[in-house]
Amino acid sequence: MPAPRRPGLLVAAAVTITVPGVLAVLAVLGHQRVAPGAAYLPPVALPANSLRAAPAATGPTVGQAQVRTAAVGIERMSQDAITSATASAREAVGLRLLGKSATAGLATSYQGVELIAQLGVNGAVTMISDVWHRSGGLTITRTTDAKELDGGQPYVSYDVDNRSPEGVFGVTKTLVTLLGKHYVALYRGNGSAVGRPALIVDLYRGDESLAARFWLDRQTMVPLRRDVYDTSAQLISEDAFVQVQFGSLPAQPGAGNGGSRNKSAWARAEVPAKLVAGLNGSGWHLPAGLPGGLPLYAAARSQMGLGQVVCLGYSDGLSVVSLFAQRGTLAAKMAGWAPVDLSGHRVYVAGHTITWAGRGFVYTIIADAPPQTVKQVVASLPPATSPGFLGRIGRGLDRLAALINPFG
Amino acid sequence: MQISALVDGELSGAELDRANAHLAACEQCRAEAAELRQLKRDLRALAIPLSELASYRAGGLAEVGADEALTRRLLAMAGPGGPVPSRRLRREQHRRDRSRNERSRSGPARGRDRGGSGGSGGAGVRGRQRAAGPPYSVRPRRSGGAPRRPGRYVLWGALSLVVVGIGAVAFGMGGGGAAEPAPRVTPQLEMFSIEHAINSGDVPFPDPTKAPAQSSPGATRP
Repeated sequence: MPAPRRPGLLVAAAVTITVPGVLAVLAVLGHQRVAPGAAYLPPVALPANSLRAAPAATGPTVGQAQVRTAAVGIERMSQDAITSATASAREAVGLRLLGKSATAGLATSYQGVELIAQLGVNGAVTMISDVWHRSGGLTITRTTDAKELDGGQPYVSYDVDNRSPEGVFGVTKTLVTLLGKHYVALYRGNGSAVGRPALIVDLYRGDESLAARFWLDRQTMVPLRRDVYDTSAQLISEDAFVQVQFGSLPAQPGAGNGGSRNKSAWARAEVPAKLVAGLNGSGWHLPAGLPGGLPLYAAARSQMGLGQVVCLGYSDGLSVVSLFAQRGTLAAKMAGWAPVDLSGHRVYVAGHTITWAGRGFVYTIIADAPPQTVKQVVASLPPATSPGFLGRIGRGLDRLAALINPFG
Repeated sequence: MQISALVDGELSGAELDRANAHLAACEQCRAEAAELRQLKRDLRALAIPLSELASYRAGGLAEVGADEALTRRLLAMAGPGGPVPSRRLRREQHRRDRSRNERSRSGPARGRDRGGSGGSGGAGVRGRQRAAGPPYSVRPRRSGGAPRRPGRYVLWGALSLVVVGIGAVAFGMGGGGAAEPAPRVTPQLEMFSIEHAINSGDVPFPDPTKAPAQSSPGATRP
């Protein structure tokens, strides 16, 4: 007696295996394909439902109704898996695009004009910077305060050591690595910036709020624009090329009346945490991390005329705070600095730079971070207040003990 | 002899010379004079007007002996309407009385209790005090009571002096803005800005503290 033939079950099983696989592959491949001139996709919820229109595998003509029913059920059951796969694919693509962008400067020469507008603790700062970059090496920036375009002299700097040729709008290899740890980078589609086709990558925080948006040149992957938002969706930083030219460059601009090319006076620490621990053991007060989820990721030291200066870099990949510390106290007259009360500290502010003295050290921070984060950072560091009556007596006893200690 | 007049500085000339000569020869009068001086000091400490003291003296010290005069003055001060001693004085007097009662029960007084006010006289005063009013008097402390320990006060005084001295020295040495001799610095903004640009992957900002007419020295981004 022949075994009963049940083709419907076989077809359903085949579809169960085939359809999710095909849909996942289409999801990955479909979002890597970039159509030139495609419209920019606004940052909304992931359009996972659009994947339903993707062509599906068809079964034999026998039992088509059963196949269709099974496929619908399978599609519903695998909805969550598809959405997850789509998000993962977008994230992988977004992070990979930023990684490519971080090294684009190694293979691309460009020249352009950048507009940099950032909101600091003492108001907005706007700069105009002429950038001249030769692939894989020299970068010359000529930055001018936008308020002083008429009379101000440009600021010229060289990247003679080729330490960060890729550094455009904060997209470097190190920072992209940190981005991947603290944010979700989603490829959002195509757009344009400074008249050039661009790929758009959005950064999301853990609470799904938009943190930043990058426009990457579709041809060269060099960043063309970056917008940064704080947690209340306020735009706090806008860096963009207002003019850019890729490929062959005109002659290297002169340094004018500045522009020496001395080697760096900074010695990089291989293990930043080790340097910080060693200095803290010698009486320094340096944090291993800063408020706002900014871990220590870079450290360098330099010997200046008045002693050693330490530079510590803290970042989550998007916000960057550089903390400079050196022994001493501030000069009696701080020309060009505005005294400001910030987080209970009496500090001096000049542009993006904040400095104050506390516990025998001068702290200076330069921050590309939301103002509220900067305030938290300042509050977390030794204050600029006097030690008080008991504190003064305690300090005096310490000095007295050090004075009479025969083993000291 | 008018010992009280001598103590009060009311004698002069030949009377004063005679009184001093007598005091030099008479130990009892010397003790009396010393006690009166101590009494005056204690009265001043209690802010008792000297006029009151004069009224007490007007009771007729001349007719009675020195001990009797003292006793009467003390009784007058302890009577109604007199100055109210502080609680501390009353506590001390109570303690002294109790101590003396214990000693009198155990045997005759010894040491310093033998001199000064005298054994039987002092007992009589205490008896009358208890009968007449509150158990206190402004009797000079050294004439009786628990023996004082000046060494303890000296020790505490010296200790306090040392602590205050060290504190003052520490306060003086704790001045200044830094824990160590600190150089006065101004942040090297150009150098810092370039290092921050490397950290942040962005262009370095010009030094905002420089005047617009002055050119940046062209910091090198290492």
